[in-house]
Amino acid sequence: MKKIIVLFILLLITGCSNKDYNQFNMFFMDTYINIKIYDLKFEDKDKVYNEIYDIYSVYDALCDRYTDYIGVNNVYYLNNVLEDGQSVVIDDRLAEVIAYGLDAYYLTSGKVNIAMGNVLDLWKKYRDSGEGIPSEEEFKNLKSISIFDIILNDNVYTKYNNVKLDLGSYAKGYVTELVADKLEEMGYYSYLINSGGNVKVGNHYSDDKYKIGIENPNEDYLVYKIVSANNTSVVTSGGYKRYYIYDDVKYHHIIDPVTLYPSNFSLGVSVITENSAYADILSTYLFLLPIEEGIYFVNSNDLVEALWYGIDDKVYLSEGYDKYE
Amino acid sequence: MNKKDLLLILVILFVCIIMFLLFSNKSSDYAYVYYENKVIKKIDLNIDNEYTVSGYNGDVVIEVLNNKIRVKEEKSNNNICSNMGFVSSSLEPIICLPNKIVIKIVEDYKIDTVIR
Repeated sequence: MKKIIVLFILLLITGCSNKDYNQFNMFFMDTYINIKIYDLKFEDKDKVYNEIYDIYSVYDALCDRYTDYIGVNNVYYLNNVLEDGQSVVIDDRLAEVIAYGLDAYYLTSGKVNIAMGNVLDLWKKYRDSGEGIPSEEEFKNLKSISIFDIILNDNVYTKYNNVKLDLGSYAKGYVTELVADKLEEMGYYSYLINSGGNVKVGNHYSDDKYKIGIENPNEDYLVYKIVSANNTSVVTSGGYKRYYIYDDVKYHHIIDPVTLYPSNFSLGVSVITENSAYADILSTYLFLLPIEEGIYFVNSNDLVEALWYGIDDKVYLSEGYDKYE
Repeated sequence: MNKKDLLLILVILFVCIIMFLLFSNKSSDYAYVYYENKVIKKIDLNIDNEYTVSGYNGDVVIEVLNNKIRVKEEKSNNNICSNMGFVSSSLEPIICLPNKIVIKIVEDYKIDTVIR
């Protein structure tokens, strides 16, 4: 009878318990971040939480464009305190983020441009008030959005023509990648990090694949596609979360550096590739490209797949998307 | 096979059945309520309750009972959708044309996370 009781208990434990994970929630970089770590050892819990928290809080402060942190030469400082033509030594970590962004400019033929701060501020002013759009006059008087006004020499930052940095298009993905690296370094390979439009998954917690639902841009709650994958990032860019309507036209927050207007080629695009920072850059890039051009770009890149939700409510897939069905 | 073995098998079977009953009736189905093709409400079918949404002709009262859903009250000439009764299949949407309300049951796929 004892044996039976033992068996009974074993059965309860093995067969019926849900997969064990720990969940951390944080709020950084204007986003609610949810991190699930599978099989996290009890004694590691605090340590892992603190490590993740530290990474987010350091980069949150460094990349912050709106808040001054005393003693930190962050993006706010570079944009608003640093004088034109002057140089300053910045934290190595921030220098690396900026260097990544400078590379992205070439990778995306100038579509992802970290020097766009001035034009983004202009649009933000109107978006916050919900009334009107920038005038021709304002566009004409716009201060520099030229990437060549930003000079980075190792960790020495110099700016010209009052150019303003904005790292918003990839900072979240960049930090997500660092957090994932940290988790793996500590021996945790099964995890899921979700920070809004930005998901990164490690190994699966059992013998399966993570199912990542992508929400329909037109309807909250409704998932229009499920990406099944492990060890990858899925990042969505879209204009349906932050926008305002003026004269029956929707103006969202992703601005084309050439037209200086929000782009309207699709309602949303999701990029699937291993590196989260790269996925973040590419999702912005593809959102700024006509869908056909984007598909062409993705199809010529083996390590990237993507899906678009078109203005016509149709779903467009890159050639190799099949493997995530 | 002696008596103990038989007992063991019976116990395991018993546990399996109990477990099956415990976990399988926790179906994860939801119903979405649309007004003019926009989702206005997500209703958990595991919770017996009544909900009121605004239709074109006024309030539409929706009832959930035993994992089934129906329109209990609505204002229209023929009352087609409230006469339709309870529905539990995703293949059978409730459509209230005069009120521009549609109720669809959606099977919640096993999703780990959602990107907005």
